[in-house]
Amino acid sequence: MPDQVPDQVPSRTSIGLAAYAAYVPLHVLDDNRLDPDAPRPRGARAVAAYDEDPVTMAVEVARRLGRAPAEDGLLTLATTSSPYDAKTAATIVHEALALEPSVTSLDLRGHRSGLSGLDLALRTGGLATAADLRMTRPGAPDELAQGDAAAAFLGGDARAAELVARATRTEEMLERWRLPGERVDRVWDERFTADLLVRAATDVVGQVLAEAGIERPDVVVVSSSNARAAATLRKRLGGDGADAAVEAQTGFTGAAHPGLLLASALDVAEPGTLVLLVSATDGADALLLRVGEGVRAARGGPSVAEQLARRVPVSYARYLRWRGLLDVQGPARPAAPAPAAPPIHRRRDWKYRLEGMRCDACSAVTTPPGPVCARCGSVEGGKHVSLRDLPARIVSVAQDRLTTMPEREVAMVVADVEGGGRLTAYATDVDPATLAVGDRMRPTFRRLWTTDAVHNYFWKLRPWEDHTDGE
Amino acid sequence: MASRRMTHDVAIVGMGCTPFRDHWDRSADDLLVEAVRECVAGVPGLSLDDVDAFWVGTQGSGMSGQTLSRPLRLRGKPVTRVENYCATGSEAFRNAAFAVASGAYDVVMATGVEKLKDSSFSGLTAVWPPADGTDVDWTAPASFSLLAPAYQQAYGLEDADLRSTLTAIAVKNHAHGALNERAQFRSPVTAEAVERAPRIAGPLGVMDCSGVSDGSAAAILVRAEDAYRYTDTPIFLRGMGFVSGSGEGLAADEYDFTTFPEVVQAAGVAYEQAGVTDPATQISLAEVHDCFTPTELVLMEDLGFSERGQGWRDVLDGRYGLGGGLPVNTDGGLKSFGHPIGATGLRMMFEAWTQLRGEAGDRQVPDASLALVQNLGGQPGSCVAFVAVLGRDRDPEYAESASAGATTGTSTGDEGEAA
Repeated sequence: MPDQVPDQVPSRTSIGLAAYAAYVPLHVLDDNRLDPDAPRPRGARAVAAYDEDPVTMAVEVARRLGRAPAEDGLLTLATTSSPYDAKTAATIVHEALALEPSVTSLDLRGHRSGLSGLDLALRTGGLATAADLRMTRPGAPDELAQGDAAAAFLGGDARAAELVARATRTEEMLERWRLPGERVDRVWDERFTADLLVRAATDVVGQVLAEAGIERPDVVVVSSSNARAAATLRKRLGGDGADAAVEAQTGFTGAAHPGLLLASALDVAEPGTLVLLVSATDGADALLLRVGEGVRAARGGPSVAEQLARRVPVSYARYLRWRGLLDVQGPARPAAPAPAAPPIHRRRDWKYRLEGMRCDACSAVTTPPGPVCARCGSVEGGKHVSLRDLPARIVSVAQDRLTTMPEREVAMVVADVEGGGRLTAYATDVDPATLAVGDRMRPTFRRLWTTDAVHNYFWKLRPWEDHTDGE
Repeated sequence: MASRRMTHDVAIVGMGCTPFRDHWDRSADDLLVEAVRECVAGVPGLSLDDVDAFWVGTQGSGMSGQTLSRPLRLRGKPVTRVENYCATGSEAFRNAAFAVASGAYDVVMATGVEKLKDSSFSGLTAVWPPADGTDVDWTAPASFSLLAPAYQQAYGLEDADLRSTLTAIAVKNHAHGALNERAQFRSPVTAEAVERAPRIAGPLGVMDCSGVSDGSAAAILVRAEDAYRYTDTPIFLRGMGFVSGSGEGLAADEYDFTTFPEVVQAAGVAYEQAGVTDPATQISLAEVHDCFTPTELVLMEDLGFSERGQGWRDVLDGRYGLGGGLPVNTDGGLKSFGHPIGATGLRMMFEAWTQLRGEAGDRQVPDASLALVQNLGGQPGSCVAFVAVLGRDRDPEYAESASAGATTGTSTGDEGEAA
């Protein structure tokens, strides 16, 4: 019903974004030639590692916020590539973030869900995560124009940004879609859908600008599943091209895209600036935000620009292997076993929260936490301590060249947590050969393997990184 | 906590050991029967009926005592199956020794077997109980390769020093195995061949790993005072320690991967019982658990053969080769003789048996009087460890108390505190 007046919430100073964070995976693919004699392609896409998926990226980005929603609040995970159908994936994020059980966890699906989740967080004070892993067939025209990323926003006070106006327009269209079980999107002729999306976006933008009583915003951020629509809208709305510049380095990151581009804008926006965020996909949504006084402190983790700057290239062959698009002969070794539901649940403090037990008698930390101290043998118990945000130094390292993971070799490390505790874990986001005794690492939540249709999530260790751009 | 010497001392009066091979045409049953037949045939006048009780060690080639009683068609005999990782064979031996020492039985047999080559996998596999999925899916070489960078870091070795040391261990054990008909690999290897082998874990290549093979071994044990009724050349168990680690090395900080604390503790017990105060000079030869080359390096220090941080120099100096000061793994070790898990501990005993009786031919250690057997399972930081000292001669203290007429209940030795 195109003539229906969109639902609108009046601007209230109490509605806004209290904190935000973006996650750009370490790897970038900028060359997808199968034939080395072919001309070098343009563009680059952000590439999640083989052990990342929307759940792990949502955990990683939400950890950066350093804040949780209220006890009766909401956690949403928006994605078009959920690791599970039927099962709620947000509950895994919820557990890994150690949120209160009374926080509702909800999956949001579809291209539009990224902005919808952000909108919900704004209106409820909830925690919105959006994370996506975008697949195409090898050689697809948009292979380098799709990418993987995540973003998180905590609603509540308007420290990062205040909601000035919002408008939404639902419009059914066959633009990008995928049947259950399929891995890549089908796409209708983008010239047809670009027309529809531009029209819908123009409509919602007109509404928010009218409501706010301004002619044009200070900053324009456009996200669209349709590249042609995005380009048209950016030009028409007078954007400065910063959103397109990020997109050129990451590709369209699905449900994460509006959040990623907004985060990038907030990274540099001055307090008081009016930012217009437009998401044009399956209709259109627009949010007009006034950047808050506390925007710098409201950012969790490094800026988008810093994350883009520190990326490392991944070869096309390795990328294809990571995605299962190149079936590479592995070792003569059985698949790693699937975890079982009761032990997963019994040990969720360890598996999802990475907690050890600090002994009441001797203060040593035992991992996994158990009834008996591994150091002094006390059976008096102790207190659970979280190890997931602490640095850990490598005691020894092994490179496994018979790995069942889609890699030539992976490293396993034994590392001692600063303040006590020992972790034995896979290393990731690092060249295994470069790891050495004494290296400083930090835990990161990853998908170890998938066996018998069970995704096995646990913590790995990756090199510790210091932010170079403030906080 | 006490780890006393047994009230009675124990002797081995017969042994058997199959060649360790890719036994494509032999089952675990066949291998057990072969080892047991050789073992019994070596004791004139003894038949299987004379054996009162049996132990069979296997990590995964059978379940229950029927692993042994069915292939041998034993009637009315007690058989216990034991499992203790790669120290399974030693565990069968240890429990059999206790059984005769207690007086419950007069003649017992310890057996071990593993049939690894019916799997299509090159390495070791195991079936674990359902779990939470948080454990690293280690290959055995990867978990033991943790020793290498830790040892290098602790003692300041260059990559080349470490590599030469590990290579020397592999070359030595293959040279020893080449002198042994029963060994899986009976060709010497060059340093180049070792270092050219495909790398599979950390600095370890295929040639740093023990041989995966099929095999079985068996021993007949009696109380020492009865030994000469069965053979003129028994060998005697002089001391024995076993530690099942708490896993602290992986569960809490501090452990640095340059040692097996479980081995140090088990060796302390065995040495004390055996009256060994300076193993570097008192032990004639040692069979140690060289599952991977860095394991043997670290064991040289854990067993007191080399000073801490000096093991690699002693290896490079040839101290542990045949003709060296303390020959180690004279039969080829796990490296060259092969490692059918449940059989390995008893295979080590078999070499001690052969050497102490002076039957080792080209690889005979001159005047061998005390042999050490060290067997472990698990991984650095979390393992089980067995150490035994075996002698050509009976412990004089036991012999004296026996000649004084003491038969039962006599305190025959020191109370050795486990470290």
